[in-house]
Amino acid sequence: MDLYSIILENKLTLEALYTLAISLICAVIVIKTDRFFRLSLHQGIRYFRNAFFFYGVAFIARYVFGLLSDLNFEPVYIAQMIFEYFIVMAGFFLFYSLIWKKFESSKQKSFSSLFNVRILIFHLMAILIAVLDYLWGSYDFMFFSQMIIFLIACMIAAMNLGKNYGKHKFPKFYLAAMVLSLGAWALNFLAETFFNWDFSILIGISVINILFFLLFLYGVIRITKTKSNGSKET
Amino acid sequence: MAAKKRERLDVIKDILQTIRQNREIKPTRLLYASNLSPQMFKEYINELISKNFIKLDIDENEKKTFSLTKKGQDFLQEYKMIENFIENFGL
Repeated sequence: MDLYSIILENKLTLEALYTLAISLICAVIVIKTDRFFRLSLHQGIRYFRNAFFFYGVAFIARYVFGLLSDLNFEPVYIAQMIFEYFIVMAGFFLFYSLIWKKFESSKQKSFSSLFNVRILIFHLMAILIAVLDYLWGSYDFMFFSQMIIFLIACMIAAMNLGKNYGKHKFPKFYLAAMVLSLGAWALNFLAETFFNWDFSILIGISVINILFFLLFLYGVIRITKTKSNGSKET
Repeated sequence: MAAKKRERLDVIKDILQTIRQNREIKPTRLLYASNLSPQMFKEYINELISKNFIKLDIDENEKKTFSLTKKGQDFLQEYKMIENFIENFGL
């Protein structure tokens, strides 16, 4: 029996393990970065933490959505819309963590990072994307919104890499993570539009997604293990 | 060339470091050392007190001094780590 057949036969178990792995990775990142935020009150860290909180919830919603689809449960669209809202918001938060300084002052007093005027725009966009995809019966609005933000995120990450070249080690992994995510969203679009959700492509997307989260986990753990006197370069 | 404008995090670190170096410091001396306007200084100090990073002690002669709390000490120890995190992740 080849690997593909084994994966196909154990699809449900593997889906559960995949969701569990990503949720755990997100939980670790949220806990570690929450501590940093509480100490520093840095808005960028706050948005970054929110991104992984939303990713964790989105992947749990995705799993529930899959289960409901398999059970032919009628109002499955609710789970689909919840999943879309959370994953789109996660992408927006990650993107905004890179550009927030252009819109907010670092000396500004701390306010809610979930409900403020700027983030309200993201909430409205995410809800609109989820509703439009439901009405259109596709995922195109989600795919395109994420491809656009990750394309811009790739450019910002490339600029950050240039700025920090030789100074820090993680920016190249950050750029790799952004390229992987852009690739995953593009593959999702291709799988939906041209390959009728071909299972082998979906396996590839899952592998890319795991790599994306592992890269961030690696970065967070590596930096939180750095000695406070900065003896270990990151 | 103009000096780089200090980030909020740097200002907090500078204030806490000054207090740690002196163990206890009078408000006026801390204001001078912080290189902030009185208004900004007041905002930072209020925030640091409300976040329990520093505490204001008043003795029997009404003499006021600032000192670091455990949380403030922790912040200084982890400051380098947080700075690394922000730079590595482009935040």
